[in-house]
Amino acid sequence: MKRMILWVTLCAAAFGAVPPQVLMPGKSPLVTLRFVFLTGAASDPVDKPGLANLTCEMLAASGTKQMTYKQIVDALFPMATSIESYTDKQMMVFTAETHVDNLDKFYTLFKAMLLEPGWREEDFRRVKDDQINALKVNLRGNNDEELAKEELYSLLYAGGPFGHENLGTVSALEKLTIEDVKAFYKAQLTRGNLMIGLAGGYPADFPARVEKDFGMLPKVGPAAVKLGAVQAIAGNVAVATGTKLTIIQKDTRSVAYSLGFPLAVKRGDADFPALLVMQSYFGQHRDSGGRLYQRMREIRGLNYGDYAYIEYFPGGMFQFEPLPNMAREQQIFQIWIRPVEVPTAAFALKLAMFELDNLVKNGLSEEDFQRTRSFVSKQVNLLTKTKSAELGYRMDSAFYGMGEYNASIKMALAGLTREQVNAAIRKHVRADGVQIVAVAKDAEGLKASLLSKDVSPMTYNSPKDAAVMAEDKVVERWDLKIRDVVIVPVERVFQ
Amino acid sequence: MTKRFLLFCCVLTTLLGAAGPVKKVFPYAYKQEDLANGLRLVTIPTDYPNLVSIYIVVQTGSRNEVEAGKSGFAHLFEHLMFRGTKANPPAQYQAAIRTAGAAQNAYTTDDYTAYHTTFSKEDLPQILGLEADRFQHLEYTPEMFKTETLAVLGEYNKNSANPMSKMFEVLRARAFQEHTYRHTTMGFLKDIQDFPNEYEYSRQFFDRYYRPEYTTIIVAGDVEPKQVRAMVDKDWGAWKRGSYQAAISAEPPQEGPRTGEVKWPAATLPWVLVAYRVPGFSDTQNDTAALDALSYLAFSQSSELYQKLVIQEQKVDAFGAQNGDHVDPYLFGIFARVKKTADMDAVDQAILATVKQFAETPVDAVKLERVKENLRYKFALGLNNSEAIAGTVARFVALKRTPETINNVYDLYGGLTAADIQRVAKQYLTERNRTTVTLVGAAQ
Repeated sequence: MKRMILWVTLCAAAFGAVPPQVLMPGKSPLVTLRFVFLTGAASDPVDKPGLANLTCEMLAASGTKQMTYKQIVDALFPMATSIESYTDKQMMVFTAETHVDNLDKFYTLFKAMLLEPGWREEDFRRVKDDQINALKVNLRGNNDEELAKEELYSLLYAGGPFGHENLGTVSALEKLTIEDVKAFYKAQLTRGNLMIGLAGGYPADFPARVEKDFGMLPKVGPAAVKLGAVQAIAGNVAVATGTKLTIIQKDTRSVAYSLGFPLAVKRGDADFPALLVMQSYFGQHRDSGGRLYQRMREIRGLNYGDYAYIEYFPGGMFQFEPLPNMAREQQIFQIWIRPVEVPTAAFALKLAMFELDNLVKNGLSEEDFQRTRSFVSKQVNLLTKTKSAELGYRMDSAFYGMGEYNASIKMALAGLTREQVNAAIRKHVRADGVQIVAVAKDAEGLKASLLSKDVSPMTYNSPKDAAVMAEDKVVERWDLKIRDVVIVPVERVFQ
Repeated sequence: MTKRFLLFCCVLTTLLGAAGPVKKVFPYAYKQEDLANGLRLVTIPTDYPNLVSIYIVVQTGSRNEVEAGKSGFAHLFEHLMFRGTKANPPAQYQAAIRTAGAAQNAYTTDDYTAYHTTFSKEDLPQILGLEADRFQHLEYTPEMFKTETLAVLGEYNKNSANPMSKMFEVLRARAFQEHTYRHTTMGFLKDIQDFPNEYEYSRQFFDRYYRPEYTTIIVAGDVEPKQVRAMVDKDWGAWKRGSYQAAISAEPPQEGPRTGEVKWPAATLPWVLVAYRVPGFSDTQNDTAALDALSYLAFSQSSELYQKLVIQEQKVDAFGAQNGDHVDPYLFGIFARVKKTADMDAVDQAILATVKQFAETPVDAVKLERVKENLRYKFALGLNNSEAIAGTVARFVALKRTPETINNVYDLYGGLTAADIQRVAKQYLTERNRTTVTLVGAAQ
């Protein structure tokens, strides 16, 4: 099929004059709007973590100067359209899909929500409550897996702009006022920070209308986020220092793990395609073909699944593809071990680290490389199966300064060799000097079993191959090289 | 721009327009065919290029788990289906799926199990062949079986961190005494822990239900129906029809209100869940459609009760209702997460007062029209890629085995009156049909 015509209009080389637009006009009666501000949790004031997210939600779930939130909800209801909003470290996103029949009505509301917020105290109270409960109840209380992942990021980037959970902390949120939100809005939601994406059958003059409307925002451009070199990141444990373990103690049935280290590679970098192949081979998200999944779940039945990542992917338990527009200047390598039974918790972690060690030492075989490259080359199409996702990926590519994602990745993969993948693994991936986060009820017991030099015996409910049994003998004695253990009661996490 | 894409745009624009005769809400010209063995094939050429999405729907879910001690088997079977065949052992199957770059998964519900795969169109013959092989010739050893049962226990474990899982377990156990909806799709924990001893039963389960007369294949995307039919004839034509039919006990009428309580060991916010027994899904009678509309009118974001509890009084931070489509009579559930334990009674009473109001007073006609508009736009907006189209059709095929069900249901929505809404509220949302479950966590 002839590809839809794409205009990427980066109107100003340096963001500032008018908001840059990524336009994908088409004939579809569905219209997608993606408005991305290049700000986020990394721009939270040091003493006000969570302010960016609170500002985002105050715009997306509150009234405007002219309308109460109830009136907005009522107006949106017949259109079956809602505004999806989220805040990551360096991007704040407002996106919606509407039928072209309703575009004018919808855009009028959308524009007013972003440009003429009502700043009502009752909206603020509700939105702040929601954010506090998202931390206390949804994250700390109900989702051990996400809790471990988010704490891992906070530990790795401790003290820096990425060093706090996007939602902030409970105690800081409790102190935030509506004046804080107004100040953040004024300073950060500027036209210099805004990137606008439109897709679908919108009228030809619509982009100009949007440009004019949002041109009224102040001009200020993006503030630089000072991340520093990967090596200097606080939580980047030196190999010689050994691995660090944090156990979050809470009343729960099983043990959840997340572990990793900062990565010196991001989308657009030369080694990214090679690491994409590595990620897919080692732990393709929610796919049964990854090495970790095969060795931990399929052969040994240790849990529900095990995956690896080179880019931030929150909410992985709820979705198969990552959300676009969570672009970051720095990423981490991460392993996600889904909850394991307490008696096999030590063995499961040792097995994951054993596999990571194997990956670093041996890389991929030629057969694995060929198969995985084929998989990634085709699977990349699935990431952009909706127009909204395609638009989001194009905007992310603009952030990373790279060409259209699918085409760039496919081209890079076509020329990639096994040797390049394995060299990238040796250069960027390691099995020592790792941050590990566990969520467990018996934290002291887990600590003791992970620090012990004793074997962590593995028993099965059915006979296993001799090769698996022999491998287990190695794994159960695997030295995790943990040199530092901290136990934190769950109520202190993100408090 | 392809012709087909332009056609889609016209169809979608027309179906949402007010002028002219009423158009069918499902905008795609699909082909529905039955093979001699009872297997049904639904092919849906869409306007999205290059990709194909297959949904294979087996009309077997936890509803079919009729024997005591065997809850959770439909879901366990969803896992076992990835354990390979003689022709394609697990490693080979995985290699083929990976080489094709396919995104593959499956899910199980009360009423059906769905296996879905999305991939590039050139791999269609191979994927259909692989699927045909595992549906007809699944082969797994007792050892593989036992290992897979542990993965299911792992799934139970990861779900168990969320108090809502426990609340639904208690709701079902209170609301149903005889019918298999008494247990969740995951099954009772004691049955899950006993799975490793049930290899023989698992073979029996496969033999009973993984049969063509229970199965519908949906192929949506960049496809040509004649070619798909030829592939399906070749790979699936020899599949043998079965004869088993589960004797599912009907649930006797509820004779009065029931309650359940969950004490959650960790800190969390309390929940109030009010559920009413309602009839099974129908696309000919408008009870299901009226109850769906009622769930929006009375409990959605734009409802008065949501405004009161969430926006104005701010006693509740999560609120909604669902009339989940089920083959047999199931539950219309209203859920509220309450910010303070002291407000639980007030929230419960506000829900009951709203139910009473809808039973006594006809709904405003303008509000009903807004709900109808919402339902049609929501449906249209949801069909934004081939996988979503196949997935949407799968939900309806699971109930009535044809995409035409979608058009029937939306026609019923279109014809709803205020009297219909009042009638279903009065008839089904009664004290007699009610089960209330509350959940309270440890002090924060």
